Amino acid sequence: MRLEKCWFCSSTVYPGHGIQFVRNDAKVFRFCRSKCHKNFKMKRNPRKVKWTKAYRRLRGKDMTQDSTFEFERKRNRPERYDRNVTEQTLKAIPLITKIRHERQKTHISDRQKQGKSKQREKDAKEVEQDFHMLPKMLQETKVKVRVTQQQTEDNVMEE
Amino acid sequence: MAAFLRSKCSSVGRTLMGSLGNNLYGGVNSSVESVTRPSHCDAITQQIRTFIQMRTNLKVVDNSGAKRVMCIQSLRGKKGARLGDMIIGSVKEAQPRGKVKKGEVVYGVVVRAAMKKGRNDGSEIQFDDNAIVLVNNKGELIGTRVFGPVPHELRKKKHLKILALAEHIV
Repeated sequence: MRLEKCWFCSSTVYPGHGIQFVRNDAKVFRFCRSKCHKNFKMKRNPRKVKWTKAYRRLRGKDMTQDSTFEFERKRNRPERYDRNVTEQTLKAIPLITKIRHERQKTHISDRQKQGKSKQREKDAKEVEQDFHMLPKMLQETKVKVRVTQQQTEDNVMEE
Repeated sequence: MAAFLRSKCSSVGRTLMGSLGNNLYGGVNSSVESVTRPSHCDAITQQIRTFIQMRTNLKVVDNSGAKRVMCIQSLRGKKGARLGDMIIGSVKEAQPRGKVKKGEVVYGVVVRAAMKKGRNDGSEIQFDDNAIVLVNNKGELIGTRVFGPVPHELRKKKHLKILALAEHIV
């Protein structure tokens, strides 16, 4: 039994799922579901289709290089059964998955941080420009905040 | 009646039902049906692959001399032959100097089928085209080479010679 990768979206194909298509040059294409198979038949390039891993990795949206990926590399040589090794591997698999997921999440949030800071600047600017459009109550609080900010700045400059 | 069958057997593999349904609708003589889907596929039609039946053109992938064979009888299955089955065919196109001539009636083993074949592990396999290898009525190969990929379903059908000569086993 072997867990394959879908040729189109790079997700794992579990046993009992998906279709293998064999081209006449003996290249085997495995698909996880009919969505990927149909896209392939339409001759779509996975590197251009936004929801595939190929696209995301190409555009740097997902983590590409990490030591956790080394554990999943394809091994063609069968290993001799050793009970201890099997036990350790089975214990390690969920840990490695967890670490990989954490790292992927941080990669994505780091990527989004720049956007967030830009958004904050934009919002601050908009508040400055259209100050008069705010409702009265908010204007008062904003003024207070402004005043306190000025005071702290002055203090810092004096120091 | 077909609709009733479909609703009843929704848990059974869709491909099987699909081909059953096609045969009920489209008659015995159509081996490939085109179902056009609007908007997404433009001019590309989604083909529903079916069995190898009478009138199916198959490519010959050995060096027996024939190039194209038309199936005149499938020796297994009421609806038609699938991957690994034997058929009787009439040679439609042949190379000028070969063991087999045009118009001859030959036996062949299907080594590649465009219709999905289910495997024991639950996966399904399909090839790009329909291809056969010519044999005599005892099952012995006429040619001495086999071209292209070949499925290991042939092992179960006891066509070991074909597997031995194959370039690539899938």
